[in-house]
Amino acid sequence: METLIIIDQAPYGGFSGREALDMAFSLAAFDQPVSLLFTGAGVNWLRKGQMPDEIYQKSVEKNLSAAPVFGIEKLLADETSCLRYNLDKEDLPAGVVVVDTDAKVIASFTQVLFAG
Amino acid sequence: MSDFHTLHILNKPPEHPRFAECLGMSSSDDALLLIENGVLALASPERLSDRKVYALSPDARARGLTASEGLLDYTDMVSLTLKAERVISW
Amino acid sequence: MSDAPDNTFSLVITGAPYSSQAPQTALAFAKAVVDSGHLIDRVFLYGDGVHLASTLIAPPSDELHLPHAWSEFLTEHKVPAVACIASALRRGLVNQEEQDRYELGASNVLPAFEIAGLGEWVESNVKSTRTIYFHAGS
Repeated sequence: METLIIIDQAPYGGFSGREALDMAFSLAAFDQPVSLLFTGAGVNWLRKGQMPDEIYQKSVEKNLSAAPVFGIEKLLADETSCLRYNLDKEDLPAGVVVVDTDAKVIASFTQVLFAG
Repeated sequence: MSDFHTLHILNKPPEHPRFAECLGMSSSDDALLLIENGVLALASPERLSDRKVYALSPDARARGLTASEGLLDYTDMVSLTLKAERVISW
Repeated sequence: MSDAPDNTFSLVITGAPYSSQAPQTALAFAKAVVDSGHLIDRVFLYGDGVHLASTLIAPPSDELHLPHAWSEFLTEHKVPAVACIASALRRGLVNQEEQDRYELGASNVLPAFEIAGLGEWVESNVKSTRTIYFHAGS
């Protein structure tokens, strides 16, 4: 059973992305294959140079860099959303795969879910 | 086995970004079940014409909307989730 | 075939009562699952969904009391319900144990609900025929 968790909310302004990441880490901790897809405003998770100390939050960039270590299989980013938010492929964190999101991209996952 | 692959349960109004995401990531082999504010799409159903569309009747009635076909109650919704190979709640 | 009565559902509610329709829809769905002869393995409250387990919700008397309606359903059908501990603690939802641990002034979890980690969700997700999510609609 392979799970895809979709993050379509930008970081910091809401909490559901962080809770999505917690779900992904939990699945991985129980040896359940899990991948993440960033789309819409969610691609802003992937921007480099986030410094959220002044808004009293922890950097999600650091959380995300731990994803492969914790066993998250794939990190996918929607191409159109990256373009909309001016994120160049070269600037994305290592291991992130840019995809043109459609039914085929999510077809290989047995379950697809959002955290909220 | 089933007459569609994925059941997409959509509870957002058509202006919500997730509504477009759902349509973008679904195919004509899939079925769409409109619930809660998702049933507002019944007000202009043309945009969904290439899909198999169901709507939760209590939610449609609550909002003064109806559809010529595909209206379901909660028991039908349960059956539908079992008919699909996969269910995604948007 | 797929409608055989040994199907099990796991329900995840992430939308809060009185700010989303999610707990109402989930309750109607849960009743239909039981009426159809299927089983509910457990109900998991996540994110804002944890507010459903609060003892401190007092809606106007002519409105459906969602935490009570859910509690009645869970008790009647012996369905386990779990609020995610991380979501719950952040949002001010604590049971006696957590009240003692964090030396808080009160506890406020309805008896029909337990507090536990995401492992409960993972387990239920693996065991169940279907896991259905009920999110906020806006």
